[in-house]
Amino acid sequence: MRIVYAIVFVAGLAAVVADHLTSPSSGRAVSPEDFAGACAPCGAPCPSAKK
Amino acid sequence: MTLTTADGLATAPAPRLDWPFLAAAVLATAVLVALVLLDGQVPSAALLVLGFALGAAFLKFEFSFTAAWRRFLVRGEAGGLIGALVLIAVAATVIVPVAALVPGFGGAIAPIGPSLLIGAFVFGIGMQLANGCGSGTLYTAGGGSGRMLIALAFFIAGSVVGSLHLPWLLDLGGIDPVLASAHFGAWGGLAVTLASILAVALLVAFVAARRGASFLPRPALLVGALAIGALAIGVFLAGRHPWSVTFGFTVWGGKIATLVGFDLSAAPFWQWPGPQRALAESVLTDTSSLTDFGMIFGAMAAAALAKPFARTPWPPPGSLLAAAVGGLLMGWGARIGFGCNIGAFLGGVASGSLHGWIWFAAALAGSALGIRFRPLFGLSRE
Repeated sequence: MRIVYAIVFVAGLAAVVADHLTSPSSGRAVSPEDFAGACAPCGAPCPSAKK
Repeated sequence: MTLTTADGLATAPAPRLDWPFLAAAVLATAVLVALVLLDGQVPSAALLVLGFALGAAFLKFEFSFTAAWRRFLVRGEAGGLIGALVLIAVAATVIVPVAALVPGFGGAIAPIGPSLLIGAFVFGIGMQLANGCGSGTLYTAGGGSGRMLIALAFFIAGSVVGSLHLPWLLDLGGIDPVLASAHFGAWGGLAVTLASILAVALLVAFVAARRGASFLPRPALLVGALAIGALAIGVFLAGRHPWSVTFGFTVWGGKIATLVGFDLSAAPFWQWPGPQRALAESVLTDTSSLTDFGMIFGAMAAAALAKPFARTPWPPPGSLLAAAVGGLLMGWGARIGFGCNIGAFLGGVASGSLHGWIWFAAALAGSALGIRFRPLFGLSRE
């Protein structure tokens, strides 16, 4: 199991670093709730906004 | 543990520290902290460090929503459940007033409708099969459980599937979030929130007493609840929203799906501003991902500090299948039901949002069903 962990750890960390270095990052970290119209932690709109 | 010679005499104590994994966990956290600090993002670094502390705290105090719920449902013991309510009350003392009074901060809210009920119920089934909720999956996977690595992988997959179904389920209807502070003001909302937590604590204590079971949390669990509650406040102040776990999984899954050729851009969920931005930008700009990474590394460090890391054998196939099915159900349910025990229950109730209590009731009902399914996979009901 240690070998599996070592592989997953290295692959996961490499993927995170690669994603960060190849993707834009426009300022502070945000949650989907930071955006206008978001009504849930995932950014879903409010039922009243859909009517 | 001690080392013994061939003639059975004890010699020096065996090393309890697992240096390679301890060093790897600390180094990985340091790398991610350095990356966000290079971008000038101090709050992001704080979220990583707070997540690290949360992972260590969960592992150290053996804080488990899943086992606490199961003990309550099977034996009537309410100590673990009341410990979780203490945690939520601690977090609420800051989250309710700050979210209501300070511009830029907000609570965890969600619409109330079929999506919430179905998602929470399915999540409850999944958490009993996987033997861990969102935070539980993170800290046990980080802490060296190969079984929970499998649960995490399927959790991620399930949450991406859920992201494709959520807009359709939202079309079934519902009402806008109901927030205590919107009706009673910041301090009135806090009073109502704390009163609701106390009422539920008294109710579960009453049920425990009726069943002849204990309802007092272990002292260590209470200390853990206070520590984790304080860290949850820290996450709220650094991220400006309550701590959440599962949106990060959805983002990771969305990025992997995109990498292997799936086009999510046409899916309604991924056209909402938040998910769209999260998919396009660095994973280190998503608040839930930051605390998730920190939690994994924190649990890994705490586990490696205490004993040799990940030395246990793989569990039987039935147990691994339960982890996979449970992870899939949790992922789908968390996306449909607006989060897990952290984002929906802790975050929702500590924000004074009614959806938190509805999520709890539906997930508890799902857990009762999930416990009945456990023997199908060779797991005990307890």
